[in-house]
Amino acid sequence: MILELNSALSDKLRILSAAAKYDVACTSSGVSRKSKKGELGAAEAAGICHSFAADGRCVSLLKILFTNECIFNCKYCINRCSNDVPRTSFTPDEICQLTMEFYRRNYIEGLFLSSGVMQSPDYTMELICETLRKLRIEYKFNGYVHCKAIPGASPGLVEMAGWYADRMSVNLELPTEAGLRELAPNKTRKNILTPMRQIQAGMAESRAVLGMKGGNQSSYWYTQKRMGRSLPGSNESLESAARYTSSNITVENKDNNINENSITDVSIKTKGNVLAQWNRNDTSRGFVPAGQSTQIIIGATGESDYQILSVTEALYQKFDLKRVFYSAFVNVNNDSSLVVNGGQPPLHREHRLYQADWLLRYYGFAAGEILSENRPFFNTYLDPKCDWALGHMEYFPVEINTAPYNTLLRVPGIGIKSAGRIVNARKTGRLDFNSLKKMGVVLKRAIYFITCNGRMMYDFLKVEEDYITRNLVSGETDIVKGFGDNITYKQLTLFDDFQIGKI
Amino acid sequence: MEKPVRIYQCENSPDGILSAVFEAGVSGYGHNYIKIQPLATDYIYNIELFSEYIKVETSGKKAENVLKTIESRISYEAYFFVMSVLLSEDEDRGNVIYQFVTYGFTIGPGVTKALQLECVARIFEIKRRVHNEAHFYKEFIRFHEVKKDPPVLMAGIEPKNRILTLVTAHFEDRFNAEYFIIYDKSHKEASFHSADGNCMIRILTQEEENRLDSLLDIDGKYPDLWKVFFEAIAVEERKNYKLQRGNLALHYRKYMTEFMENN
Repeated sequence: MILELNSALSDKLRILSAAAKYDVACTSSGVSRKSKKGELGAAEAAGICHSFAADGRCVSLLKILFTNECIFNCKYCINRCSNDVPRTSFTPDEICQLTMEFYRRNYIEGLFLSSGVMQSPDYTMELICETLRKLRIEYKFNGYVHCKAIPGASPGLVEMAGWYADRMSVNLELPTEAGLRELAPNKTRKNILTPMRQIQAGMAESRAVLGMKGGNQSSYWYTQKRMGRSLPGSNESLESAARYTSSNITVENKDNNINENSITDVSIKTKGNVLAQWNRNDTSRGFVPAGQSTQIIIGATGESDYQILSVTEALYQKFDLKRVFYSAFVNVNNDSSLVVNGGQPPLHREHRLYQADWLLRYYGFAAGEILSENRPFFNTYLDPKCDWALGHMEYFPVEINTAPYNTLLRVPGIGIKSAGRIVNARKTGRLDFNSLKKMGVVLKRAIYFITCNGRMMYDFLKVEEDYITRNLVSGETDIVKGFGDNITYKQLTLFDDFQIGKI
Repeated sequence: MEKPVRIYQCENSPDGILSAVFEAGVSGYGHNYIKIQPLATDYIYNIELFSEYIKVETSGKKAENVLKTIESRISYEAYFFVMSVLLSEDEDRGNVIYQFVTYGFTIGPGVTKALQLECVARIFEIKRRVHNEAHFYKEFIRFHEVKKDPPVLMAGIEPKNRILTLVTAHFEDRFNAEYFIIYDKSHKEASFHSADGNCMIRILTQEEENRLDSLLDIDGKYPDLWKVFFEAIAVEERKNYKLQRGNLALHYRKYMTEFMENN
């Protein structure tokens, strides 16, 4: 191990940003805050991306590790203690200066501070807290801050970080306890879920006392509310989450039934004083106003998509998370014990998971509707919504001029925006296919599932699973070919259709 | 009854277009037979046969009158739509604003949602494009520290629409204690903000333009540090330039630090 203690700032920046790049979350969303006189920065609820790196991912925050020294030995991680990589650390002032100067030039929306575990979780968390304190109080930075809670750090330090940060996250890393034990021997489910629960309860308390402080509820919460279901995040459902602990967080692992998978072990009070540091100078931002997120590594262990999606749903329901991020596993250590699909990161699987994640958070789907025990993996050729629709042809076709909002949302090719526009526009008059196109409906997918004024767009379209599947999957659809009414769909045979047998 | 189309020709400015909307409105000639044509200096127009041409004098008072009426008789949202479309440079914007306002007076506040109407769909599209462009510049604009003591930040942009006001308002809030200049090269105007909160936008003289041009690539060590970060943050195994181009179009990159060649 090489220790580079006195390397130049640019070397440190290169090493510590390269070490942080596998963390997916780079969002700056969830809180809207105006500037303060004499301070630098503000925050926008929708978040702002400032650039896009060569891999196409957005760069919103200055995403760095405080240090890449680490006493943990997680198999998937480039910074594990058994790796021989250059090690270095920032000083709190270096991080503050970089953040301020980058922010003034509009390179970034704020700071994303993570860290390897130096000496002990508490020691590391203290360094993170000190950096954030300096940044907020001495450097007067009012922009966005995302910071990691180090698993195993004491609650007092996690709380302190939460008062400075906008968003916090604790990485779940792997969807099952068994996977975690195998790949990240120094982390436990309990160590990860404890701070998560603490932050959740702290947020609820802060909101009750101080109000929302520019933050918003999670999109999952809003969707559930719209659908008239019970809401995660409200006090009532927090208690019920604590009560019904049998059916939660993880899917039962069939091979070895592990009870630790459930969140029963996490015995943190959800009522009463989770937050202790009220007598601080500044509570104007509130406690973690932009909520918390987490990250799951995809494809390092053998979980099915259904398991991952169920865990995601449980996290939204029981922990009131804003986002769950998926990270296609990149085998940086060439560790042969890890499941890797031909050496390539499973990007396509990650993509499908994000699509399904959106269906959970915005479209009111349940994990069990998208996948099931019997069908635990995503369809490679069709997106999850098309896949669902084709399995439920009894709901289609949907009449655009009369269908309720939630029904419109279930149509492939109609999204949140276009469904809203349809509902608003039909108050003043009837809609036809031409106007749908202008509203942003993706007719390529939608035409098989909708009618306007009782008619489909083309008479020859059939509301049949096989017919639609064939058209959605093939590059050349019947519409492109311009087929009319008298088309037959059976396989041609040389002998019967062309009477070759008779000759 | 067929009658000749009247084409109202006006100055290519927000006030000019609104004055034409005013004149067309009070004429009572019928909206199907009225067109509004802002005369841009760098464009050659075809003259239509069987049409009447009417020159409209620009009048600030008439323009204001139109805007007030839109806000009070339709809705604030309709007013917002019209103002946004006036920031664009589309040739048909005078026309669609006139159509939109005419429909608005009959339909009422619901007109902003009635996307099945051709002119509303068009106005919605232009409005969205203007605000999208403004949003992209909020994301991708890059400041340079062109002067120390007191530190002055400057950024250059080349937008298609006149979004300088929208972008400046965004930075006025977050950089309230900074001196900064945003220089719109394509419309030859710039906004100036001082640390005490004063802000102004003005059309530039040729001399001022040259002065600002000469300042565009000055800065200290931070652009290099930013490039170091920008290169280190990409995951090699996920390289995807097509996705990068989809998210960050090439024409925005001209003034972006991380895409500039080292001198």
